[in-house]
Amino acid sequence: MVKHENFKTCAQSGFCKRNRAYGDTALSSSNWAAPYSLDPASVKFEKGILTGTVSKTIANTGEAVRLPLTVAFYESGTARVTIDEERRQKGEIELRHNSKAKKQRYNEAEKWAIVGGTTVSTGAATSKAAEKGTTKIVYGPASKFEAVIRHTPFGVEFKRDGETQVKLNDRGLLNMEHWRPKVDKPAPEKKEGEEEKKEGEEAVVVESDKEIAEDDGTWWDESFGGNTDSKPRGPEAVALDIEFPGYEHVYGAAEHAGPLSLKETRGGDGKYSEPYRLYNSDVFEYEMDSPMTLYGAIPFMQAQKKDSTVGVFWLNAAETWIDITKTTTSANPLSFGIGSSVTTQTHWISEAGLLDVFVFLGPKPQDVIGAYTELTGYTQLPQQFAIAYHQCRWNYVTDEDVRDVDRKFDKHRIPYDVIWLDIEYTEGKKYFTWDPMTFPDPLGMNKQLDEHERKLVAIIDPHIKNKGNYPIVEELKSKDLAVHNKDDNIYEGWCWPGSSYWIDCFSPKGREWWKGLFRYDKFRGTMKNVFIWNDMNEPSVFNGPETTMPKDNLHHDHWEHRDVHNINGMTLVNATFDALLARDKVEDKHHVRPFVLTRSFYSGSQRLGAMWTGDNQAAWPHLEASIPMLLSMGVSGFPFAGADVGGFFGNPSKELLTRWYQAGAFYPFFRGHAHIDTRRREPYLAGEPYTQIITQALRLRYALLPAWYTAFHEASVSGAPIIRPNYYVHPGDEKGFGIDDQFYLGSYGLLAKPVTKEGQEGQDIYLADKEKYYDYFDFWTYEGPGTVNVAAPLDTIPFLMQGGHIIPRRDRPRRSSGLMRYDPFTLVVVLGNSGDAEGTLYLDDGESFDFQEGGYIHRRFSYASSTSTLMSEDLAAAAGKKTKEYLKQMEKVRVEKVIIVGAPAAWKGKGEVEVSEEQSGKISAARKVSLDWHDKEDGKAAWAVVRDPGVQIGSGWKIAFA
Amino acid sequence: MKVAVALIYLEYAAHSLAASPDSGRPRGVSPDFAKFYKDAATFTCISNPSLSLPIARVNDDYCDCPDGSDEPGTAACAHLSPLSPQTTVNGVGAAGSNTTLALPGFYCKNKGHAASYLPFTRVNDGICDYELCCDGSEEWESVGGVKCEDRCQQIGKEWRRLDEQRQKSLGNAGKKRKELVAEAQRLRKEVEDRIQTLGTQIEGGERKVGQLEQELVEVERREKGRVVRGSVPKKAGKLGIVVGLAKQRTEELKEALLRVRGERDASATRLVEVEAILATFKEEYNPNFNDEGVKRAVRAWEDYAARDKGAEADAAHDRDLDALSQSDKQNGLDWEEYEGGDDDESETDVLYAFEAYLPPSVRTWLDAKLRSLRITLIESGILADTSSSSSEGESKAVSDAKTRLSTAQKDLDGHRKDLTTHQEDLDKPFGPDDVFRALKDTCISHPAGEYTYDLCFLSKTTQKPKKGGGSTNMGNYVSLEQIWVDEGAVPADGKGLGTGLRWAMKYEHGQHCWNGPDRSTMVVLGCAEEGEVWRIVEEEKCVYRMEVGTPAVCGEAGLKGKGGRDEL
Repeated sequence: MVKHENFKTCAQSGFCKRNRAYGDTALSSSNWAAPYSLDPASVKFEKGILTGTVSKTIANTGEAVRLPLTVAFYESGTARVTIDEERRQKGEIELRHNSKAKKQRYNEAEKWAIVGGTTVSTGAATSKAAEKGTTKIVYGPASKFEAVIRHTPFGVEFKRDGETQVKLNDRGLLNMEHWRPKVDKPAPEKKEGEEEKKEGEEAVVVESDKEIAEDDGTWWDESFGGNTDSKPRGPEAVALDIEFPGYEHVYGAAEHAGPLSLKETRGGDGKYSEPYRLYNSDVFEYEMDSPMTLYGAIPFMQAQKKDSTVGVFWLNAAETWIDITKTTTSANPLSFGIGSSVTTQTHWISEAGLLDVFVFLGPKPQDVIGAYTELTGYTQLPQQFAIAYHQCRWNYVTDEDVRDVDRKFDKHRIPYDVIWLDIEYTEGKKYFTWDPMTFPDPLGMNKQLDEHERKLVAIIDPHIKNKGNYPIVEELKSKDLAVHNKDDNIYEGWCWPGSSYWIDCFSPKGREWWKGLFRYDKFRGTMKNVFIWNDMNEPSVFNGPETTMPKDNLHHDHWEHRDVHNINGMTLVNATFDALLARDKVEDKHHVRPFVLTRSFYSGSQRLGAMWTGDNQAAWPHLEASIPMLLSMGVSGFPFAGADVGGFFGNPSKELLTRWYQAGAFYPFFRGHAHIDTRRREPYLAGEPYTQIITQALRLRYALLPAWYTAFHEASVSGAPIIRPNYYVHPGDEKGFGIDDQFYLGSYGLLAKPVTKEGQEGQDIYLADKEKYYDYFDFWTYEGPGTVNVAAPLDTIPFLMQGGHIIPRRDRPRRSSGLMRYDPFTLVVVLGNSGDAEGTLYLDDGESFDFQEGGYIHRRFSYASSTSTLMSEDLAAAAGKKTKEYLKQMEKVRVEKVIIVGAPAAWKGKGEVEVSEEQSGKISAARKVSLDWHDKEDGKAAWAVVRDPGVQIGSGWKIAFA
Repeated sequence: MKVAVALIYLEYAAHSLAASPDSGRPRGVSPDFAKFYKDAATFTCISNPSLSLPIARVNDDYCDCPDGSDEPGTAACAHLSPLSPQTTVNGVGAAGSNTTLALPGFYCKNKGHAASYLPFTRVNDGICDYELCCDGSEEWESVGGVKCEDRCQQIGKEWRRLDEQRQKSLGNAGKKRKELVAEAQRLRKEVEDRIQTLGTQIEGGERKVGQLEQELVEVERREKGRVVRGSVPKKAGKLGIVVGLAKQRTEELKEALLRVRGERDASATRLVEVEAILATFKEEYNPNFNDEGVKRAVRAWEDYAARDKGAEADAAHDRDLDALSQSDKQNGLDWEEYEGGDDDESETDVLYAFEAYLPPSVRTWLDAKLRSLRITLIESGILADTSSSSSEGESKAVSDAKTRLSTAQKDLDGHRKDLTTHQEDLDKPFGPDDVFRALKDTCISHPAGEYTYDLCFLSKTTQKPKKGGGSTNMGNYVSLEQIWVDEGAVPADGKGLGTGLRWAMKYEHGQHCWNGPDRSTMVVLGCAEEGEVWRIVEEEKCVYRMEVGTPAVCGEAGLKGKGGRDEL
């Protein structure tokens, strides 16, 4: 059970409570006018960027606070609205408690999160047609986008094709808590926060229409769970309402354990009463179906209505809360009164920093996700091993234990690629050391793993044990590279090793030092097949407020921890990623791609590795919840995501374990993991029939690795999710917008719906389109649209193939993915209603950066019913330095088999097809190979097999069936 | 048959690769299966004789036979396995075809060493599997440029060297086993001898007991005629003095009672408080933080909380104590009545009638409770035990007779128990030739990781942290069994169980494991010259397996020197 008392509710988080109250007052008064207006005289538009000054009028004094505004329009069609506060910007404020904290609102989030897509639009222009009191900018592809900026009260409407898609401050909840000096009133005894109702009532009663009663009880300091936040800069929250008119569904705002389509948060049946919270935390035994914060934060949200997707990205690293409400309008004037429509309203509240929001106008899901990932970066193309199976446990207790597990997998002919070490391998939780008793020979262990191209992942956490005779902590202290406390001295907290310090990866010097720690000659016992797991990087501090650092801690350049909290985890992974590229001089000539797993993350972390959903439990609801959680990560630009297979806490039943492997085989990041107090559960221990069924699921994953790797490649160049929810694939199908328990793998039309309930033997699968779907295993044929029931006894995964795709596979089981490198391919051509099919294959050495110099194969396979021809075309860009070498290396790798599902009846008795190949630019003479045709039976489709066409995977060819 | 149609077409496949260079058999085929590959023109799938292929399709790296028999030398049929996803397209996949694999694996001739089979999944994967295929023949395609040179000379030589050592060692081990067996026989003989002796002793004892019973009857009869009351104090003091002493003692007792009761109540209150603190602590601590100290404390608390809590505070008992704490007068006992003395009656008589004068409530209580209170006080060290062992009112002669009888009885019982133990011991299984009898209670020690493990045969297993601290019981011996082990071949150094039926000692009900079961250990025995723990694994949480070498099991499966080499 999660300990709710350890984590704040909105009412316990001063700025959230204040802003909710602000919103409630604004919305409940009939003539509310937001006190923010844009001075038209200040507005300038130059080279795609609009600037101006928004002023906030303070009700009591009439004083105006100057808030510089920037609205940037990027080439990609993305617009960005940024508001700062002049006084803080210029540093003209006084800090309390002699604090050394930086005076500005945090303005470096983009330094960490944004890597591209900020080329300013040359086409954006002001429009003369602006209505009075507004400024209008026309921008975007074919100038179809408009930003209409209302001066008073300040607000922005974003339109696409003349229709409003996103509104900022339409409800007037914009709030920037300006700096003010603390005035010590002769205090009538002030009561602690719990009196919220009374205060709320007072506020409504006392204040006149233009004023909001400001509850200053949490302006200057705030206590929670025995920790007091000194808040040297006073109140500085930013908040804004963002509305999506006509959009019923919103997704994103990861990470939460709840449905993909986000719920309303202001109470009511089946709705939440707390806002979605983003404040990276080590939440012990987190609960299901909850808006509570978790380990990572991606403040990116997209809204979906029929055939239209839009989105916003709230670039802020401080604690953030998001309220969501939906209203139904019975007659939408824009749609000429046809039917009702639902509008989603959101209220974003952050504790500190700039107001910095990016608006994406779609219209397709991929347009929005693509634009977001253009900004924050695409998923790293991982090494192939990283998308194969990982075997983890807290803990494999000795190097001999690791070797033994390694041997047992081979003995039982179960493939795996990576074995992991949790914290116990270290000597007394001192990272970069090995326990000499239990891991006397780490190199011997790593070499054994390397014999079958297997890897080791070892954990390295950001807390450094505060203990003498530990060179790492000595250096950390003497070089002053740790996070500081509010008094600017080294901050000491409690974590696994006991008393610890935390590396400050915001500091360039800190990162440089961290980089050096991973060198093979420093972290002895590691070699090229060792990779890293960064855990506890929220950061988790056992004795800190909400199990993390005090907000008034100071980081590099004196930014407060409050300013940077949600980015903190990413900085560690960033440093580790860089470190893995600096382990050895010789390696510098030919690096392999780093692999880092992180628990904490922020927008942009996808560039650096994989994430997992933290400490789940061996219980059916956690298996079920893993799917919407991973889908949410997928549409949030961070698709390399997984959940602990089997469940971290507790012992799964054998049925649960088996079902979890069947689901896990579809997690982009596929790792079995278990708590130290659980029984061992490596697949070979399950016993029959479980071990056999689990092995089948693992081998299915391995057989489909070419498809997975291609999907990862797609993600690495476009940000596309790897497992895709129904709305992403069928954005016109409103019925499917809420579906989050089934998904498509890559662009292959492979539709899976793993069983996540105990004792369930059949699975209803929703088919969105009028298309044929075939059972992956026995070719049973289903026809959409509608819901079909698929038999799902324990040994069966509900897994369908949508007509119209070609799926690459490698069917030969090997010990690890590295040993499949030269195996031949099988192509599965799935013919649907049109009779045509296509699919792609991306292939490279699976480990180095040679692909950046052309060392890869990228093919498009297509079958055209009009010509009855299957062909392979090159998708590769112009050849690079490594192209030839790689193609030469792969020249013997062939297509050994082509399976055609839904094969035309006309092929009956055909017996052969003609194969022609492209060799050094010429088409070879056709040769004949056999075709084996099987008629349909029962509900199963007809299928055919081309026997060993023998064509090269890396070159062009044709197979003629007519 | 569709395949028959396919027969017409000539294959382009380079089947020069099909046959291995230096034998008539196709690559990967063992002599045992050679007969299936003799036909020069066609090949018939071994388990599916209705399917015939042109010989060119054998080892052409494409899987045609549903049983995989057409690809003895490639990995093309490696996916045919119940461990693979079960798809319609398995080989040719015709319904009803026999998909049971026909071949045990890729046959490595390993000239210069022992031949063996390698799983097809390992053929042409770019890795030299010298462990099974020392001739490197399985990587004939040299994928990725891999070259697996033939190392059989070297590996075979080394293996033979070690094997020779092992054989020698096994020879020694055989001798040692003989010694053990001899020792076991000697021990058994001892037991048998002892049983015989015990039989005699028991017979004697029975007789003695009979005599003593007789004696007791007689003594009692004799004594009946004498003074009714046995050990009447010779110098009976004045009743007044006695009463005074009694009163004084009663007062002392009462005071002591009150004090002890007060202390008890105070302790009970503190205990409740401490238990509440610990219960909250257990409820609220965060197990994820894995602080060993905290975990140990929680564990200990759980054990404590689960234990029998002792009797609940008994209200009746407290009422008794209340009554007892009142003044004696309130209890109806007026010492003054007696202190004055009463010459009418013999003081002795009065003394004996003393209880009769007590009011019934006090009398009953005095009878039962005073004694138990006294015992309590003695046990808690408040009173000294001054009582003599002789029972009240019994003549010395009778009590002596009783003592003699009970001593004799005890001796007899002891002998009978010994007999049972020894008889059971004889019936217990000690393995073949009773050999484990010689190992009983002998211990071997094995340091591994953070711990030193101790194995005491037929007794218990323990684990002791090297860094210091107490040892943990990992199980007490419960039974001997034979279990199937599958560890492949015995390694050249002989330190392994190999494959087959092995003797195992089961140890259970060790120390309870936090969040887990009672610790238990399965000790599996293999043949070795010296008693030695080879390996310890924690198979599941707190379920251990020890692989142990001992000469005691030599001559069992372990003696088959090359056992397992040909097994896959």
